[in-house]
Amino acid sequence: MTEPSRDSRVTTLFPNTLLNRVERLRIVSMRRFTDKRRGEHLHGCSGTSTEFTDYRDYVPGDDVRRVDWNIFARLNRPYLKLYRQEEEMNVVLLVDASLSMSFERKIEQAKGLAGAFGVMGLLGTERVSVAVFNGRENTPARLLPCAGRASMHKVFGFLEKIEAAGDEPLDEGIETFLKYHTGRGIAVLLSDFLTFGDLKRSLNRLTGAGLEIFAVQVLGPAELSPEVDSDVRLVDSETGDTLDVSPGELLEIYSEYREEFQRNLALMCRQRLGRFVSVASTDSLEWVLLDLLRRRGWVK
Amino acid sequence: MNAFGFYAPVYAWLALLAVPLVLFYFLKLKRPRKMTPSLVLWRQVMNDSRVNSPFQRFKRNVLLLIQLFLLALLVLAATQPYWHGKASRAKRLPILVDCSASMAALDKAGGSARLDAARAKLREIVNGMLPDQEFCIISFGRSAHKLADFTNNKRVLLDALAQLKVEDVPGDLESALRVAQAVGRTSPFDQVMLFSDGNLPAQVDFELPFTLSYQKLPPGGQNFGITSLNAQRSPDGAWDVFVRVECSAEAAETPATVELKRDGERVRAETVTLGRGQAQRLIFHVSSESACRLEVNLASDGFDSLASDNRAYLELPAARSLWVFAPASLASYRHALEALPGLRLFPDESGRSGEAVFDLVVTDRPEDRSLDAKVALYVGMVPDAVSGRVGVAREGTTVVDWRRTASALQHVDLTDLLLLEDPRLASDTGEGELESLGFETLVHGGHGPVLLEKRTAGKDAYYFLVHTDHSTFPYRVGFPILVSNLVRQASEAAGLTEMRAALTGVLPPVKLAPNKSYSIEGPDGSKHEERSDAEGALAGIPAPWVGEYSIFDGSDPKAVVGASLLSTHETSLATAGELTFSENLAVSADRAPARVDRALSPTIALIALAVLLFEWLYYHRSAGWFVR
Repeated sequence: MTEPSRDSRVTTLFPNTLLNRVERLRIVSMRRFTDKRRGEHLHGCSGTSTEFTDYRDYVPGDDVRRVDWNIFARLNRPYLKLYRQEEEMNVVLLVDASLSMSFERKIEQAKGLAGAFGVMGLLGTERVSVAVFNGRENTPARLLPCAGRASMHKVFGFLEKIEAAGDEPLDEGIETFLKYHTGRGIAVLLSDFLTFGDLKRSLNRLTGAGLEIFAVQVLGPAELSPEVDSDVRLVDSETGDTLDVSPGELLEIYSEYREEFQRNLALMCRQRLGRFVSVASTDSLEWVLLDLLRRRGWVK
Repeated sequence: MNAFGFYAPVYAWLALLAVPLVLFYFLKLKRPRKMTPSLVLWRQVMNDSRVNSPFQRFKRNVLLLIQLFLLALLVLAATQPYWHGKASRAKRLPILVDCSASMAALDKAGGSARLDAARAKLREIVNGMLPDQEFCIISFGRSAHKLADFTNNKRVLLDALAQLKVEDVPGDLESALRVAQAVGRTSPFDQVMLFSDGNLPAQVDFELPFTLSYQKLPPGGQNFGITSLNAQRSPDGAWDVFVRVECSAEAAETPATVELKRDGERVRAETVTLGRGQAQRLIFHVSSESACRLEVNLASDGFDSLASDNRAYLELPAARSLWVFAPASLASYRHALEALPGLRLFPDESGRSGEAVFDLVVTDRPEDRSLDAKVALYVGMVPDAVSGRVGVAREGTTVVDWRRTASALQHVDLTDLLLLEDPRLASDTGEGELESLGFETLVHGGHGPVLLEKRTAGKDAYYFLVHTDHSTFPYRVGFPILVSNLVRQASEAAGLTEMRAALTGVLPPVKLAPNKSYSIEGPDGSKHEERSDAEGALAGIPAPWVGEYSIFDGSDPKAVVGASLLSTHETSLATAGELTFSENLAVSADRAPARVDRALSPTIALIALAVLLFEWLYYHRSAGWFVR
């Protein structure tokens, strides 16, 4: 089967074949942060869904419409029939679009993953919203919560327009985002996490806001294994700061620090009952979504 | 004394160039800028203690350090540093190089000769000389030659070193020191350096006016050689040829073959075994029927470090009677001569005067002075050269003293000899004037010389200024002894009783046609011209190498003379660790190898070039043309 042309693709974020497979995936939430709105996520409390859970004795004040009259006819005692409560969950896609994400297709990888999580959320009848951090002076570009398959194009369109620019640190972006956000659920945080800011506080705030953290770190090949052949002056793409680096044993030390940094990020997420995974911008979306995240239990 | 010195320390101010170098380094240092997503990780890395270790800090500025090191090297080279030699820095240094036969000795089989080792050392010294230094090179064997006058031109000095060549002669250090002393009169110096293997006489009759640095080269290996070759007439009329072979003190016992060739044809060979300085004498019996040329070769079965002492040459004349002329007027002499065997006296009984050339002439007739003879005794005649300075008075006198060691007066007692004639020196004449004319007084009378001797090339003439018939001498025992001494001397001069091999250095005079040029071809093929004197003697032919020297008249061969080393001292390769000069001044060989001031600038410049190449390869390679 030939791949459809670019014009016939539903989105530029990933091919239709991958979209078809992503549509069958669902996000697995560990903490079940849900809103009181009806949704597809079963709540621990009894609810109004059609899924039966248990019986209990009738007590005055209960809705008599929930009395199981068949039981009453046989036992002459009123019992109340209980059903599962199905509530709605927010899927917040937080995309770091600072200038550092413009390197080595990191932003494209982040947008593709965000689109995939968006599809999974929309088709799971979740309320999917998107927030993009890229400008310190501007409020984050946001896509207000939306739900249903019909919103898929809206989510894709919003994501496709994202361009990496600006110098807003991730932590500041999260703080600003939480000022406007309401609702519980999961927060898919797509970033390289290369920030001088205090990520602990930001992750605490996200957890406190009832959002389970799904942190996805996207790094480019130059960040995973940089090449320094001669004396160079490294320039920070966001701050413009410079640093003189010479070749030598630095690369080994850099690798040690990167691995330590990733271990700390994973630890911070775990301590907040969240998840962390690091992918390369060169990794295929298909492998990340259908293999890596499935094996990690992020999606099913 | 400091180990280092600087010939041009004024150029140290060039070190100030470090200031602009550092300035330009930091002003011009432009690292390529490389955009990176974030410096978060890099800052942590750069704050790591491992990155900030002193070595890592050094690596960060290694380019600047290399450039500063390069500048330091160039400044150091500009100041022209040098190692101090053993002695104070000599601005003028004559170098005496021993080129005697022993300097050709090899240290081992296939090894290098002593002279080559000296040459290599001298090249090193010349290459390291400083601009204000001047060296003079004097080589010496039997005599000394100045190969290069004082100069700081390395090319001239190196060319002079290339001319150094071993001569197969014993070394004469005195002549070299005298040449150095003569050079010092025009170009004063304080120190002289001597390069030798030490095969020199330990006693040197020379007053050192300068400091002598004696650089003794390592000795050669074991050596075997011929140290003596002569022949004596045996009672049966043939020749007994005596050959003496010796070896150096360090030589292990090794068999050797001594081969005798007569006119190029091998006639005899003997095997000897020598070791640890032993010597052995061999005797060969050679017929004397005809003149012949003998060549003796020594071939050792083991290593022999010196080749020049393995050959020797000896010319043997044919046997004949000694031809003696004594006129009938000297009846006493004829009577004494007739009693001696092996001679033929002229005029003989038939009155024949024989040839015009005699071996011995004894006469009291002035007209017989024209007779040619190797030995002549003129009785009652005053030589023309001293006739104005010596007169003969008709008065009696006695012999005051005589030279008992003179060849003609050996065992002759002249005590109480009465003379009826009295030779007298002129009042204004001293014996020194006679000596200046070439006359040596053998017998002193009361007022002047009685017997004079004059030696010229190929002739020994004695002059009795008084007639012996006017004395008691013919009646004394000493008279026949004198006659016998003269006969023996004439026999030796004629080569009829004993022959010795000619030595290298200068060939013995050869009798040829008078006043004629001859071409002499040496054993190495070199040719040069010599001219015979009025008496036909071709004398003073240089013979620096062992071998046969051919004398040609045009292309016509006239004579062949062999020259041999025959030096016990050279063959022994014995070395003198200490040379003793006049007034017991001793000079010991330097224990350390020769160390003169050595310029370090070339070495430093080479290091600087290497650093520059490293810097260029390491830092500019990526942008370099050769990568492409």
